Amino acid sequence: MTVAVRIIPCLDIRAGRVVKGVNFENIIDAGDPVETAERYNTEGADELCFLDIDASYENRSATLSTVEAVASQVFIPLTVGGGVSKLQDIERLLEKGADKVSINTSAILDPSLVGNAAKKFGSQCIVVAVDSKREGEKSYVYTHGGKNKTAFETSAWIKIVEGEGAGEILLTSMDRDGTKIGFDNELTSSIAKDLSIPLITSGGAGSIDHMIEGITDGKADAVLAASIFHQKEITIAEVKDGLASKGIEVRL
Amino acid sequence: MKVGIIDYGASNLYSIDRSLRYLGANTLIIDEPNKLKEVDKLIFPGQGSLGSAMSHLKKIELFEDLRTQLKEKPFLGICLGLQVLFSKSEEGDTQGYGFYKNEISMFPPDLPIKVPHMGWNKVFIKQDHDLFTNIENDTRFYFVHSYLLKDFEEEKSFSTTHHGIEFISSIGDENIFATQFHPEKSGEAGLKFFDNFLKWNP
Repeated sequence: MTVAVRIIPCLDIRAGRVVKGVNFENIIDAGDPVETAERYNTEGADELCFLDIDASYENRSATLSTVEAVASQVFIPLTVGGGVSKLQDIERLLEKGADKVSINTSAILDPSLVGNAAKKFGSQCIVVAVDSKREGEKSYVYTHGGKNKTAFETSAWIKIVEGEGAGEILLTSMDRDGTKIGFDNELTSSIAKDLSIPLITSGGAGSIDHMIEGITDGKADAVLAASIFHQKEITIAEVKDGLASKGIEVRL
Repeated sequence: MKVGIIDYGASNLYSIDRSLRYLGANTLIIDEPNKLKEVDKLIFPGQGSLGSAMSHLKKIELFEDLRTQLKEKPFLGICLGLQVLFSKSEEGDTQGYGFYKNEISMFPPDLPIKVPHMGWNKVFIKQDHDLFTNIENDTRFYFVHSYLLKDFEEEKSFSTTHHGIEFISSIGDENIFATQFHPEKSGEAGLKFFDNFLKWNP
């Protein structure tokens, strides 16, 4: 008897279109954002996540119109990220209808951005997105859409932003992203056990069982996926039925 | 009929505005006292901190006029809009309107739960209310909050929700109704709730 596990389809956005790549490369067109958002809402998505994967100045205004168009038709929480580097960016996204903003690269460049944003807008709307890649026994944080390695180990970095006042962590395994071989549950559970705020697991979902394992083994509060939902391999309703059959609370 | 949405500088009022307009309502963003006269119903949105909301309302000289209107017009408070009706909150020493004396407290730190309480949770309806018309008991609504109302007068408590502990997720008192959940983010159930508010005639 508690809050339901959330299923969050992610829409990677570039210049106002939904796109999808594998291991952060080979980007292909995957549809219109508003149509895609409406379909996911009808299927029972608990939230939607938009990531502007190429947040140049021109694309930013396209993303703002996309957010506004979606927010006028779909009344579930919207998280928007990509290129968020100052408080003004957050303000603008919230005005257009985002409920939460995810910060990635800019948090690494200046961790106090997370704290200042949480103070101004409330922790509930500040998601820190962490792109993580394994190197032997360790995992490191990458920035700039997975292009640049940082000196931060993933677990240490997440403790820092939790302390700054992040409301939620979106943890993406770059090793698994787009591979459909399952989430990196070992990584996720090792982070979740010390975390007081919600954790979204991302990268690698390819089946309903993977989604279930992300919760039971990965200890995540929410699962995020893109490819399998875009390609209609499985629906959100099927995922929820699968989770419910294992006794996991979902919103049906 | 026109619905006024209070603008205290740091909320997601546009989400509420979009939901109401989607349902065909006329809305007006209230950012100065004179606009209060133009509306028939009021919504106090939720998000941000109570302290900054209160000081912003005082700065734009809306605080006292709103207090009067709160007793007259059909009023819906959402999340922070519930908390403002109370006198004090652990969230700083901020004073709300003080209509009710119960304390708004944080989720206890020793519970095995994530805070903020973020996501879709069940609303157990304890008493019928016009705003719950055609909404089934146990329907999930979207929540996002770190503070809660633990105890309240039974006859004014309309629903409870459970996240580690049970708390009051909606209250009602004549022309006032207030929720801890966010109808504007609760999909179909939320739209139904707003539609009930638009039709409400307390």
